Amino acid sequence: MSSRTLPEFDLLLPQSIPEAVELLATHGGRITVMAGGTDVMVALKFSQQPAQLPEYVMSLEYVPGLAYVLYDPAKGLRVGAKATVADLLESPDVKQHYRSLWDAAQVFATGQVRNTATVLGNLLRASPAGDCSCAIYAIGGTVAFQGRAGRREVDIDDFWISYGQTARQPDELAVELVLPPPAAGTHSAFRRLTRTSEDLAKLNVAVQLRMSGETCVEARVAMGCVAPTPLRLKQTEAQLCGKALTAEVLERAAAAVAGEISPIDDKRSTAEYRRQVSGVLLRRTIRQACGVA
Amino acid sequence: MKDRNITLHINGEAHSLTVTVNRTLLDVLRDELGMTETKYGCGTGECGACTVLVEGKAVNSCLTLAATMDGKRITTVAGLSDFGRLDHIQQAFVDEAAIQCGYCTPGMVMKTASLLAKNPDPSEAEIRHALEGNICRCTGYEKIVKAVKKAAQTMPGRAAAVEPCKEAVQ
Repeated sequence: MSSRTLPEFDLLLPQSIPEAVELLATHGGRITVMAGGTDVMVALKFSQQPAQLPEYVMSLEYVPGLAYVLYDPAKGLRVGAKATVADLLESPDVKQHYRSLWDAAQVFATGQVRNTATVLGNLLRASPAGDCSCAIYAIGGTVAFQGRAGRREVDIDDFWISYGQTARQPDELAVELVLPPPAAGTHSAFRRLTRTSEDLAKLNVAVQLRMSGETCVEARVAMGCVAPTPLRLKQTEAQLCGKALTAEVLERAAAAVAGEISPIDDKRSTAEYRRQVSGVLLRRTIRQACGVA
Repeated sequence: MKDRNITLHINGEAHSLTVTVNRTLLDVLRDELGMTETKYGCGTGECGACTVLVEGKAVNSCLTLAATMDGKRITTVAGLSDFGRLDHIQQAFVDEAAIQCGYCTPGMVMKTASLLAKNPDPSEAEIRHALEGNICRCTGYEKIVKAVKKAAQTMPGRAAAVEPCKEAVQ
């Protein structure tokens, strides 16, 4: 295959969620689901082995009612399966209440890709480098799947199984992401390292901290490009919880990072570099979240 | 189903055609409709040479399946000019000599069109952020950024908006 031509496949174009679910129930694992297509199209073009090729591609283009980004102060944020990364940037609620996600969306790929790539697609791609994935992991939330039997919600902590693999079953359609409303005193931030702005990250990190006065009472830290999937750094979080975020505490948290990650050498960076800068990037991201960057 | 009947509204004109489902919008524009003004660069959504507007939004046509574009309004760089008369963005690229080999230019112009439609007065940082998905291998971008600034200054309607203020001062 080349970057020019796509392999042969049958295209399924359901007009509704029930029709899409029915197609998945019938053809299951032989379908590749596509929303924005910015990942699926590239994967199709470069599929090396015929065995990897899907028999069907199912585009959600003509399925109405999935392109929403809706915020409710009591229920949180709902992001539909067809909401694009650009749609997040258009939402003042995302900018105000989920700043880390907004910052990740702002640097995500390029303008053209942001206009078509979906937020759920970024999660479902299950790449360890996904910028929105990293931010969402630190916020916490659930992904809702629709199957013939009904709706199933999976906690983001249980969403990624391995590289490229999620908790979605072949007969399920991912319909929405739900993020909880931020509690009072919540601060979040996202940072990443890349060579050029449109590159995939060589390292990304997101934090969500709940502060009570000077004390951090709850912390979620997610890091990307340091394991087969996005990673939650629970030992690092433990270094922050229940403490005032002094320079010494941040130093200990940064030192804990290297023990939790398993980076590799690849074309974007080296394991050694990633191990060295991961703690520094975490410290800067925490400072950014607390407004002392 | 391996073929689909679709209607594309390209640059204000409806084109009804049958497309094979694994053809991209770029393939259909260039190979089936002969609209070669939109360029094939990388094929993976990184270089921006194939940028067109779909319903006013800049997208990579190399990553868009034509069969999913039924009924959509599509604008290519040829759709900006009016019977051969360049629009203000195209003219600004010529005036600022923001073109060397010219291959990236259609994509650059279309991304600029989408930027200025949302933000008529972008800062240099905003221009560079907007063009991050368009790669040029000749100019070094300086002249392209100047061209976008000039396009913003010469946008139709802008002069009219400024004129009454001048009169008020007099």
